[in-house]
Amino acid sequence: MTREEAEKIVYIAISIGEELLASSAEVSRVEDTVTRILQAYGATRADVFSITSSLEVTAHFGDFNTVTQTRRIRSINTDMAMLEALNGLSRMICSAEPRMTPEEALVRFKKIREETKAAAESRSASLQMLGYAVVSGSFTVFFGGDMADCIAGAVIGVILKLIESALGKVMTNRLLIAFIWSFAGGLLAHFFVAFGLGHHSDLISIGNIMLFIPGIAFTNSIRDLFYGDTITGLIRFCESVILAITIAVGFTAAGLIM
Amino acid sequence: MQEIIQLTAAVVGSIGFGIVFHMRPKKLKWAALGGFLSWASYLVLVHAGLNEYLCGFIAAALTTAYAEIMARSTKTPAIIYVVVSTVPLIPGAALYRSMNALLRQDMTVARAQGLYALIFATSMAAGIVLTTLFERMAVQRSAAENKS
Repeated sequence: MTREEAEKIVYIAISIGEELLASSAEVSRVEDTVTRILQAYGATRADVFSITSSLEVTAHFGDFNTVTQTRRIRSINTDMAMLEALNGLSRMICSAEPRMTPEEALVRFKKIREETKAAAESRSASLQMLGYAVVSGSFTVFFGGDMADCIAGAVIGVILKLIESALGKVMTNRLLIAFIWSFAGGLLAHFFVAFGLGHHSDLISIGNIMLFIPGIAFTNSIRDLFYGDTITGLIRFCESVILAITIAVGFTAAGLIM
Repeated sequence: MQEIIQLTAAVVGSIGFGIVFHMRPKKLKWAALGGFLSWASYLVLVHAGLNEYLCGFIAAALTTAYAEIMARSTKTPAIIYVVVSTVPLIPGAALYRSMNALLRQDMTVARAQGLYALIFATSMAAGIVLTTLFERMAVQRSAAENKS
């Protein structure tokens, strides 16, 4: 195998791995997927190492023909449709006979990425907002709120999402953003109750917290620790605990000044 | 009655999370069933008088088993179903109450609620991990059998 071919193969494998990580796949799954793709293309050895923010791959194609590439992952967005589509692609790459060429795989990968992102964006406007409203409202009821609390929770959930995305465009610090919108969420809950829409500002806030709490990141972190991905596990554990505390403090701090 | 309202809210909440996480619309019904299973099994276990952390652990393990089965039959990564189904178990209320008490300098409540949230979340995660570890072992075994 020529050097160029080897580089193409590693490129496609690491691109899929990077996108998987950025869509919040588990580290062990990413390492596993990248290794499988490389082996399917005839790598004699694949050394894949990943933490949540970085992915590095060295593939061996016989002696002396080794290729190393690394990627830095800067932001993680949970996108289940993307995970699903990429999972399908990697399965196809590993099982299709005759083997898909790296060029073809890259074309398919780009197509999936664009289509899934476009689909997510076109849905995000209306359907996403509905999702946020449904989650906030139903968890307000779940923890004991009444019908008025449910409506207030749903409305605040949507407003908070709008604030969050607006803040994301002007600021980069995740924790500061989280504190500002959760503080706003706490204030809104008190305002709504003061104006008679809703009766329990604490339950409305809890419903909203359920929406934004990093539950996936936390669960994944424990799983990573159990699987032996200790560094990733600890990073995610600290990140999710600090974020969860920031959000909860933001919501409750609003109650102090009211 | 309270239980029925909670179960309904859990089901609707799971569907909502399915929407938020870009699940395909056709699969949302499985998210709803998952949310129902996780909270229903938790309630049954709590009424049977088990320790709450143990209830969270078992409910999470059962829900993950459901998620793994659904992942197989609909060819979707299991984590999608795990996430949307276990959402009702997440101790968001305890976290809120803990922080609220912390800011009011009520350390007894803050410590109790905070520890509850942390231990409960860890029990849940352990339950999820338990099932996925078994699933991995089963997959590796069947792969080894296919090779030989």
